[in-house]
Amino acid sequence: MTTENFTGAPPLVDPHQSMGEGLVALQKRNRFIQGIKVTAVWAGLIALVTGGMLMLRISPAYMLAHYNVILQGAGTTLYVSLVSIASATMLALLGSISRLSSNPIAQGIAGFYVSLVRGTPLLIQIYLIYLGLPQIGEQITQLGFPAIGKIFILDAVPAGILALSLNYGAYMTEIFRAGLQSIGYGQREAAIALGMTPLQVMRRIILPQAIRIIIPDVGNQFIAMQKDSALVSVMGVWEITYIANRYARRDSKYMEMFLVAAAAYWILTILSSWLQGWLEKRMAQAYER
Amino acid sequence: MKKLYTIMAVILAAAFILSACGGSPAPAKDLLSEVKARGTLVISTDPAYPPQSELKANPARTPGTKCTSDQKTLGELEGFDIDTAAAIAKGLGVEPCWVTPDWTLITAGNWAGRWDISVGSMTITPERAKALYFGQPYYTTPAAAFVYKTNTTYKTPADLSGKKIGVCGGCTYESFLNGSLVVPGVTINFTIKNATAKTYDTDSTALADLELGDGVRLDAVITAQPTGQAEINNGKPIKQLGDPLYIEYLGPAFDRNSMLDPHSLIAAVSQIIAGLHKDGTLSKLCMQWEGSDLAAAAATFDASQFGK
Repeated sequence: MTTENFTGAPPLVDPHQSMGEGLVALQKRNRFIQGIKVTAVWAGLIALVTGGMLMLRISPAYMLAHYNVILQGAGTTLYVSLVSIASATMLALLGSISRLSSNPIAQGIAGFYVSLVRGTPLLIQIYLIYLGLPQIGEQITQLGFPAIGKIFILDAVPAGILALSLNYGAYMTEIFRAGLQSIGYGQREAAIALGMTPLQVMRRIILPQAIRIIIPDVGNQFIAMQKDSALVSVMGVWEITYIANRYARRDSKYMEMFLVAAAAYWILTILSSWLQGWLEKRMAQAYER
Repeated sequence: MKKLYTIMAVILAAAFILSACGGSPAPAKDLLSEVKARGTLVISTDPAYPPQSELKANPARTPGTKCTSDQKTLGELEGFDIDTAAAIAKGLGVEPCWVTPDWTLITAGNWAGRWDISVGSMTITPERAKALYFGQPYYTTPAAAFVYKTNTTYKTPADLSGKKIGVCGGCTYESFLNGSLVVPGVTINFTIKNATAKTYDTDSTALADLELGDGVRLDAVITAQPTGQAEINNGKPIKQLGDPLYIEYLGPAFDRNSMLDPHSLIAAVSQIIAGLHKDGTLSKLCMQWEGSDLAAAAATFDASQFGK
């Protein structure tokens, strides 16, 4: 904390520097001790859970021999969730901008979408998309457009991705809306005063700031989606839950396979939380003192 | 930005025009010729029902298979349904491929051509026949009641009247409990009265609940006799209560709302199954997987009314 002055006089030394350094060191030590305490609590809880698991009638050897089939399913789970969260984000961006726009058509469509999709269960949406869309496609085919009709006959994985994207898009529309609205109105006015078009205001002023607020919630949604993606197993997609279930039934090893599946989901979400934390830190860089 | 919009608009328009005009060759009008042209028979199954359909101990994809990547091959699944379906495909001169949708999606019909046939131990019922066609049944299943091993209070199925009984939701066992079950060609004696049916997604979950103890969650489970027997063979603490309650006929199913006419396929499959009954293949497979010949009784069933 030394500063050079222009007269060539000896550098000024902050008389309180040692006190400040001491304070920083104390904070650091406190944080470290707190970290150790939290780790101890975690260790205790892990011991408790492990103890509980030891009381279950399970065969650890079976779990060790079959964790790799769950890993295969984890690939599918991750793929479905990643594609779905990406398209849900796009939907949410469009939806939130529409909800906040003054255009009655855009506002109406977005409001209707959010209300309809948030108001119905995901599993029913999956059934409707998988069973219902082909019937619409059939009608279109009969009208003489077989190529368009074919688009409506979705396989299990695309149908699952569509359902998850639509569903999460609706929830995330509200998250995005809140994020966009959190940016002070004065900034928009200032940008307009500088002659920016509405698109420029959104792209250069509002979005870069709103993203920072939105990211933690999107991460949350992604974690939730990884587990909701288990619902696409009803269409016969071989993701974690489906595989765990089928092996469990083949060998009557329910607890074993469900525990391995639970561990797989947990590890996936821990990895996602890390990613989320890293992204949050990056986004917050400009705001750090 | 404007340029981007123009490019996107042009691409969208082009895609639309291409997809609309994309001259599609006159599609095959019947399912049998489509199956033969494709070289694969796509069958729906759920590998959650040993010994009818389950995962192989060491699943390995059949080398050089014509099945698509999201379909399962003969190298990955095994069981009585699987072997029967493979024999049907062999009779048609094509390769069997399996998809694994939820049971509800199979019985709902409207398969949209995603699979051609269900060989999944499906009981022929009048309700299902509204959405599906059935071919010649390939075996029968006796439905039986199972109770906890140490129980001594129940002597016959009739003793289960008024008790809490686990069944799979939407299965014939549930209709049996509420007295609405109709099996074509069979007179059913509804011996269990006023029982509380507790429904599960599948029988195995119900059995798992029964195995927790006598009356803990369930007093009994009604399921297919071979399914319960398999649990007993696995050392689970349950036992069969009395004689089977009724017999069901299980046959291959086809989509009533199929875009391609399925009647030629139904006829061909029924003929193949009749042949498999005649030469003893089905009885042999049944002995191998189920431990008793449940196929013979299905040979004489007249399924022609369900294929029209």
